[in-house]
Amino acid sequence: MSHDYKAVQWTPFKKRFDLWMLAGIILYLIGFIVVGEVTQPPGESIHPVQAVMRATGTLAFLLLTFILCIGPLARMTDRFKPFLYNRRHLGVTTFLIGLIHAALVMMWYHGFSETNPFVSLFISNPRYESLSGFPFEVLGFGALLIMFLMAATSHDFWNANLGPGVWKALHMGVYVAYALLIAHVALGAIQFEKSPAYVGLLVAGATSVFALHVGTGMMTLRGRDRPETDGWLKVANVTDMEDARAKIVRPAKGEAIAIFRDGDKVSAVSNVCRHQGGPLGEGRIVDGCITCPWHGFQYRMEDGQSPPPFTEKIATYATRIIDGVVYVNPEPNVPGTPQTPSQIGATS
Amino acid sequence: MSKDDFFIGWAEPPKVDRRFFLGTGLGLMAGTAATAAGVAALQRPVGPGDWNMGEIREWRGIATAEPYGMLRTLDLDGTPRTALLGCQGKCGVSAKIGALAGKPVIVKGSLIQRGPHTMIAVVDGLDWIREDTGGTIGDLAFPSPEPLFEATLNGEILDSKCWFGAMRPSEGKVHKSCASLCIRGGIPPAFYVKDRKDQKALIIMTPGGYGHNKDLLPFVADPVAITGQIQRFGDLFLLDAPVSAINRI
Repeated sequence: MSHDYKAVQWTPFKKRFDLWMLAGIILYLIGFIVVGEVTQPPGESIHPVQAVMRATGTLAFLLLTFILCIGPLARMTDRFKPFLYNRRHLGVTTFLIGLIHAALVMMWYHGFSETNPFVSLFISNPRYESLSGFPFEVLGFGALLIMFLMAATSHDFWNANLGPGVWKALHMGVYVAYALLIAHVALGAIQFEKSPAYVGLLVAGATSVFALHVGTGMMTLRGRDRPETDGWLKVANVTDMEDARAKIVRPAKGEAIAIFRDGDKVSAVSNVCRHQGGPLGEGRIVDGCITCPWHGFQYRMEDGQSPPPFTEKIATYATRIIDGVVYVNPEPNVPGTPQTPSQIGATS
Repeated sequence: MSKDDFFIGWAEPPKVDRRFFLGTGLGLMAGTAATAAGVAALQRPVGPGDWNMGEIREWRGIATAEPYGMLRTLDLDGTPRTALLGCQGKCGVSAKIGALAGKPVIVKGSLIQRGPHTMIAVVDGLDWIREDTGGTIGDLAFPSPEPLFEATLNGEILDSKCWFGAMRPSEGKVHKSCASLCIRGGIPPAFYVKDRKDQKALIIMTPGGYGHNKDLLPFVADPVAITGQIQRFGDLFLLDAPVSAINRI
């Protein structure tokens, strides 16, 4: 909910999550470096700087792949919602790991010479015209820049001040960053480390992200063609609406609508949370308020306003029930406008 | 789903989420360990070689600036041996040898060594080389290059310093920028040859008896074929070929 801005809004669960995350990161880095050392032939060893460089590079790629899978997985099963809730910490951590990788590369490969390392980054490999010879470091640099912008604006302060639309658009840049990262790995490390397993890992990661997003995207599109009656959209039979939960309707124009049932009342609000655009219709009624499944932002059913002292508002919609069927008017009211709920069992 | 099953970040997580999180967390840990081990174990062998940076010592011998900065010195068994010279970073030192070329000198630095290949990374400052007033040239005079045969060889152009052990690994596309900076700075370029039987050899590159420099940069770390003359230069082999004889494979 809207609040005074703290660096991190710690909760006990968030602390536990971060401990698990740190343990996993340490496990990966130590495991990579130790196994990489002991599996080299006798008399050969990876230079420690390059071992850390490789460990952080591979970890950043794997973490970003996992992060991008969380959103679709959380749409498919509620059990992944806790990962979604803590995704921001994973994202910032991934940027920091990528930053360590990049700093080591700049120091090790582009440093120790009279040429400025940032100039060297762009000129040391001039084969921009070649696909296989393309200077892949530049692609990684681009991905890191995008991730920096995202990490720097990840706090709710920026979400509130940039506005949810701009903030969301900015953070959709993660897909550009991931595409750059895929190209960075494909045109870089895999040109040297030619084991098919590396190619397999890269393809599996990219395919997982793509397939999960396409799959959940198709789930979203499935509800678009709803029959209309006098401009009202059919939602569902009252008996099919679970108490404290919602049905989501997607009009041809405008935002998706979440139609909630709370006991014998039915109300409709925008499906888009004002915080980070979370799908309110996948949330539920908690203590009389619609509660976003992503970060727990709450809105009153009757007017789409967050309970005081919070100030967020979302659009409300008119509903009606005819012969046991719920309908919603797709024309939104101004956010925060009171809208009388439809009463189940009453004559409309 | 009951109310108790609904996860809200700011509230105590439902039991079902805690159980799932614990199971998934343990699974992810196991997956993380397995992935780290698998990805690390599949790395290519990086080659031997080492740079003992902490051990600064002095070598007596004869220095030359052409085709690159080198020192011809006596090995422990008394046989003449050639060490390439480089600075602590990505630069050569041939331009700094000046009037001491061809004279007995004492060079101070640390040793980079990969098998029979050696480079002395000289210390920073002006006292890295001084005339050895008590030294004699004797058998240490640099011989003239002795032509052996003409050949077309496949391999990769890289910088000698990293390949000798300054970096591991030190070849391939991931090392291209570093090798380019080294060669641009004056580190002797080398041609790393792999023949059909996967036998490997390293040959120092020269065009017409002089040193390569920026002219090689477009081809560094790419698979190339070079046609040139193999020459014996004391205990080193040289590949004498102009840039025009280099073709990207």
